[in-house]
Formats: sequence, structure tokens, C-alpha cells
Amino acid sequence: MLSVEHIQKSFGSVQALRDVSFSIGAGSVFGLLGPNGSGKTTTMRTILNILNPDAGQVTWNGKAIDRAMRRRFGYLPEERGLYGKMAVREQIIYFGRLHGLHEPEAAKRADAWIERLEIGTYALRPAAELSKGNQQKVQIACAALHEPELLILDEPFSGLDPVNADILLAVLLDLKAKGATLVLSSHQMWQLEQLCTAYCVINKGETRATGTLAELRAAWPTRLVRVAPDSKALRDAAAGFGASVAGSENGALDLNVPANSDFAAMLRTFVGADSIVRFEVVEPSLHDIYLRAIGVAA
Amino acid sequence: MNDFITVYSGDLMRRIKSRPFIIGLVLGTLAIVALLKLPTMLAPTIVSQGTNILIVADAPIAAQARPLLSKTLTVRGVVPASTKIDAALLKRFDADNAVSIQDVKTGIRITIYAKNPTSVPSGRVRTALLPLQVQHATHLTNAQITAALDARVEVRSLSTTFHSVHQAEAAQGLAMTLVVFLYILVLVNSQFVMSAVAEEKTSRIAELLIATVDPMVLLVAKVLVGATLSVLQLLVWVGIGIALGSSGSGSGASSAAANPFSLAGLLGNTLSPEVIAAFIVFFILGFLQISTVFAGVASLINRTEDLGSISGPMVIPTVAGYFIGILAINAPSLPVVTVTSFVPLLSPFVMFARMAVTHVPTWEIATSIALNLLALWGIAWFAGKLYRVGMMLYGRPPKFAQVWEILRTPS
Repeated sequence: MLSVEHIQKSFGSVQALRDVSFSIGAGSVFGLLGPNGSGKTTTMRTILNILNPDAGQVTWNGKAIDRAMRRRFGYLPEERGLYGKMAVREQIIYFGRLHGLHEPEAAKRADAWIERLEIGTYALRPAAELSKGNQQKVQIACAALHEPELLILDEPFSGLDPVNADILLAVLLDLKAKGATLVLSSHQMWQLEQLCTAYCVINKGETRATGTLAELRAAWPTRLVRVAPDSKALRDAAAGFGASVAGSENGALDLNVPANSDFAAMLRTFVGADSIVRFEVVEPSLHDIYLRAIGVAA
Repeated sequence: MNDFITVYSGDLMRRIKSRPFIIGLVLGTLAIVALLKLPTMLAPTIVSQGTNILIVADAPIAAQARPLLSKTLTVRGVVPASTKIDAALLKRFDADNAVSIQDVKTGIRITIYAKNPTSVPSGRVRTALLPLQVQHATHLTNAQITAALDARVEVRSLSTTFHSVHQAEAAQGLAMTLVVFLYILVLVNSQFVMSAVAEEKTSRIAELLIATVDPMVLLVAKVLVGATLSVLQLLVWVGIGIALGSSGSGSGASSAAANPFSLAGLLGNTLSPEVIAAFIVFFILGFLQISTVFAGVASLINRTEDLGSISGPMVIPTVAGYFIGILAINAPSLPVVTVTSFVPLLSPFVMFARMAVTHVPTWEIATSIALNLLALWGIAWFAGKLYRVGMMLYGRPPKFAQVWEILRTPS
């Protein structure tokens, strides 16, 4: 289990992390969310011991992260980098060796990854000759070749076309199935929802929300009730449940109601008040939770 | 240790296969070959220019002049003084120049009629005919004059380091060669280390590396790869120098004295084993100090274009060390030489140069090495701090205050 406890980090007068805490169960996929400059990358670097926290601690299975442990981790930084003049295959093998694989094993795995990522045509070409998307695939192979226990991916989908994004998604799901713990950040909420079992929203260097989607939804104070038709009778009936009108569209009325409302009673009341054709309780999406957590939307 | 070996071997192979290294090695080798061989190859051509002469003089003087001139020039023939001298005459005797010699009251008058005035061996003619000139002026015998002119100043060495002037001159020549090698290798390969660090930072691969390997391992491996390549280049160049030097004639000492870039002297034991060992020790110390500073500072830049501006001021100690080293070869006892042979960054050049040409007390050598090791420790601490933080520092170049903050922050 990865445990991040109240970490703080400053660069001169800039406080990048004020108080970030979360924990990730082994084998889970964890989404780190936050706007640009919120502290996601600094958090990832701190987990990997690239940066030492000014306060707080990071542990993996209860132990402070050391060099030997770090070799069993994988990392795909946001700013991608490869040796431009080194051949793709050679490069993947090199990073495998840096993570403790022997050359023959690294070569065998490199060939398998090259085939899987469909970059065989470029295997012997210098990395600089590849497109940005293909370079990114090489970097993913470099990060995952040694089958890391913990793989940290900073914006792994950025720069990938839909086909390559699907390839990456399949790769990550496969790693998850093999038991790897994944931590990833992305601005593509739908991709995170496909992959992640838990999340942490960071803003201005602080944890704003953390937990599984169910836990985050449970903590959400309101629910959206969509009811049709949009009539005065229904609006009046809704007022009795402490609801406020969120909007009206295509003849349907959106109502914000407290999360702990008795929805069955509400439905019965609405049926008695008007001839309703629609009643739907809409759970907050990850996007809604994210926006609320960073203080952009209520 | 495994991390170090992987990084070191990976980096070494990348650098050995890199175009700049191959080009540098080939060009350096060609330069050594050119320096050693071109003078020998060109000498016969240059020396033979205008050396075919025709003597124009009356029989008695011609008889005296001919053996003197034949020592250094090719005499194609002798014609009487009354002969009309023109291009046709020279062509008939296949001569480049006609040397006319006339007896006058104060000695002899020498006139050279040249087919090509740009290649007239007037100095050699004058020197060759000096005994004849003096004889005609003083009426001494030829043998007396030659003996007087051949008298040499004899030098006998009282030095415990060198037994002869030849040996001292050879040592100076070799020391000069080695200081030049030291300078080129340290400067060029330190800049290679610097650009390798900058490349990893600007290509953003540094973050991936630092996430896996300790930054100090990366720094040390990079510096040692630079040192290995320097030694490799040195071995290639010295090997070629020795091979070419030993293929020539003459003893080691005399060859080295004749040509400071000839390494034949190494075969002739011109430099003692202690001096050769000192060269290796000071080369390693100098290289490690300078390239470690370069690597640390390179981690602060964000664009490879900034390398030039940042390396400029850092080259100054190396250049200063080189010039003082050259000075030390000719004047090893100067106070500035003695003092700077203890100053880290300078002493690798200066102390070695002093040792090559004079006796340096053991305690001075030991002190200099100790001070250099101490400085290397300090430089490694300084560069390590910069590197550890600098490699992850992007955006605006750091200000001095930020750098100071980095150095003050505990690791």
C-alpha cells in the first residue's frame, strides 16, 4: 500500500505542496486530479523520492521509500524525454537494465513490448525520428518493462491519438490485471473513470477530496433530480423537500436536493402533484466532483 | 554499484559511438601525424629548393670554394669568372643559382644570380664560404680558420635531474607536449561532459533517470566516462606518437629535443617514471575537478545554446593553468609558478610542468596532491548539490540567490 501523509514541499518562496495526503491499496488504480499547477507532478516526484518533502512522509507497504524500492517502481513523467540518437530497442533495453533486469531478459521483454505497442517498424531507428505519439509509446515501454509494483504516469494520454490512447488503455488495464498499482493523472475524466478505482483531487497544494467514486459521491451534499414536465405544481411540491431549481431544459426541470432526501417519498409526492413522465436521480459525475473540489462550480 | 555500471557502460557506449567523439579522435590523430610527419616529409622539398649551384670564379678561388660549398649544396659545375651569366647558362648546367666569387682587397665578393629569387640559399652560401672570406681577409690558413670557427661552448650539467643539455631540452619538449595534451584533453572532454549533462536535461530524460538512479551516481558516471574517453584518446595519440617517433632515426633524447611534439623521448627515458606517474595523477585530478564543476553548472541551464556563455568564465582557470604550466617549463623557479603549483585547478598543469623540468621536493608534491584531493571533495559536494536540484529546475535560469539557497539546503 502506498501512503502519502501530510507532505509539504516549497521551492524558495513558492509553496508547491501545503498538505497532501491519501493512501492507495495495492493493485488499485488511483487517479490524481487537479488543475495545472495544483501540485500533482510535485506529489508524484515526491512519491518517487526525486524530491524530498519538507514535511510529512511517503511509505510503500509501511516502509520509507529507498533506492532499492524505487527500482521496482516505474515512472512516465509529464515532460517526455528520450535519447534522440539512441535506437528505440536499445533505449528500452537500457531502461530495463537500469531497473535491474539482465540484458537478455530486458531484450526479450523489449521485443514483446515493441510488438505489443506496434512500433516494430521503428525498433532500430533513432528515437528522434519517431512521431510524438510513437515516442510516447516507447517511453511507456521504458517505464513498464520491468513490470513495476507501482507505476506512476503523469498525463499518460496527452499527445496520443484515439487509436493509440486505446492501445495505452489496454496496456494499463493489463498491468492492473497483473497486480500493479497505478497512479495516474489526466485531464480526461472519462479515461480516468474507465481505469481508476479511487481518486484524489488536489488544488493549490492541498488535498481537497479523496476516496473511491462511491465515497466521493457519498460526500457530495446534493443530488440532481430531473423531473418532467416542468410545471408550477411540481416546483411547488419540490419546495417542500428543500429543493432549489438548477435549471430547465427540453421541458424537464432540474432540481438540487439534499443528498439525504427520501427520494421514494419525493416521487410519491410528485406523482400526486402532477402527471409526471420522468423522474431521475442523477449521481454527481467525477467531473462535477472535481469542479466542486477545486472551487470552480458548486 | 550495478546502477553505476549500467549508467557508466551505457553512457560510454553512447559517447564512443557519437559523431563528435569520433570526429575529435580522428582529427586529433591526423593532427598528431601531421605535426610529427609533415616537417620530415616537407623538409627535403624545402631544403632542396635552389641548392643546385654553378660556381663562377677563377680557378684558384673556385678550387678553394668548391669543397666548402659542396658540404651543404650541390655544385653542378665551375665556369671561369669571365663567363657571361644568364638563364641559358644555368639551364645548360641544370643549376638553380650561379654563385660568382671574386677576390677583392677586403676579402671575397659573393654574388648570387638566381633563376628564382624566392629560393636563394644565400645564408648557406655565406656560411659555407665564411672560411674563404676570413682567409682572404686575414691570410690565415684554411685549416686554422675552420678550427677556430668550429670551436663550441661546452656545457656540463651539475643537475641531478638531467645529465646533459640534450636531455634537459628533450624533457622540456616532452613536458610542453604533455601540457598541451593535458590542456586539450581536460578542456575538450570537460566540455563534452558539460554538453552531455545539458543534453539530458534539455531533452527531459533527466527526470526519468533520476527517478531510477541516484543523481550522484549519474554525475559520477558521467564524469568518469569523460575521464575514460580522455585516457582512450591520450593512449591513441601517445601510441601513434611513439610509433611514428620510434620509426625515425636518432636517440630518444635528441629526437625529442629536435621536435617537441615527437614522443620518441619516452622511449629514450627522457622523462623519469615519477614524472610520467605525475602526469597521470595530475591529469586525473585536473580532469575530475574541472569536469565535475562543468557538469554541476551545466545542470542549471535550460537550453543547450546557453552552454557557450556559461562555459566561457569556467574555462579561465584551465587556460590560466595551461599558460602558467608553459611558463613553468621555461622558468620553474619563479615564485608565481611555485605558488600556483599548490592551487587546485591550476596545479595539475603547473606542478606537473615543474616536476618535468626540475627537482621538486617530495613534500611539495604530496601537499599539492593532498590539496587537490581536498578540493576535489569540495567540488564534488558543490557540483552534487547543484546537479541534484539543477536537473529538475526548469523555467527561468536560476538567480545567484537561488543557487546559494540550493547550496545551503541540506541534502
